Amino acid sequence: MIKSFGVFSLVLAIFFLPGPFFLVHASPASGPKRIEVTAKRFSFDPGTITLQRGEPVILVLKSVDVPHGLRFRELNVEVKSPKGGSGEVQFTPDKDGDFVGHCSVFCGNGHGSMTLTLHVIG
Amino acid sequence: MRRTVTIPAICLVLALILCAALCCNGFKANPPSKAETRVMTFAKHYLFFGNKTQRNPLVVSKQSIADGKEAFTHYCVACHGLDGQNTGVPFADRMSPPVPSLASPDVQSYSDGQLKWVIDNGIWPSGMPGSKGTLSDEEIWSIVVYLRNLPPAGSLGEPEMYSH
Repeated sequence: MIKSFGVFSLVLAIFFLPGPFFLVHASPASGPKRIEVTAKRFSFDPGTITLQRGEPVILVLKSVDVPHGLRFRELNVEVKSPKGGSGEVQFTPDKDGDFVGHCSVFCGNGHGSMTLTLHVIG
Repeated sequence: MRRTVTIPAICLVLALILCAALCCNGFKANPPSKAETRVMTFAKHYLFFGNKTQRNPLVVSKQSIADGKEAFTHYCVACHGLDGQNTGVPFADRMSPPVPSLASPDVQSYSDGQLKWVIDNGIWPSGMPGSKGTLSDEEIWSIVVYLRNLPPAGSLGEPEMYSH
């Protein structure tokens, strides 16, 4: 009885587990586009990014010196990154236009001029 | 034409008054006299601080007040305290002119545009530095929102730098 239950469980595992595993592994290929931005005193690289309206993206912010942040007030999007680390945010731009993001973590004398422009096209 | 002649003349008179005050004080940071204060207050309101008609593009909300408070905390607290009313700032009364309470009627009577101008450019020779480039326009406008919605004096305690 115990043996047959074990075989039944194994069959279940073989037939049902690969499905979810497959989905998990497959998702990066079909998921949101990842865009990496490097932040350092006092600029973002790249300084301009073009996105498609309605297309979800993951914005990855990497800081190479001190903590930084990137905020697009009009899009209600913000991501912060610790010193030497990274942070990410997923969002879907829902309107066309140019949106200027600013560093949202005070990082020194040129902090106010640290910007990145998003071009969102329809 | 008349205005273009009048403004330099007034500036010249103010400069002479300033020089006289400096000579009399021997460059000590003594409190300014009532006459100096009146003249400078008038000049700041009507001559020196530009941008009078510019409106704040930010809407007053809990979020914009919080943003302003955060930006203020990064850059302004050393002289103005966390509450903008000099709480815990040991030298606030010892500067010449003294650091004003930002909740005072004098400061609050400037337009939003003028407050932005002051934060952008600073005030010579008071010790107030300009913040253009150090803070973004968005942060400076949010500070203006915060200045219009300051908490009660002393309610936020004193800046950490003066507690150690």
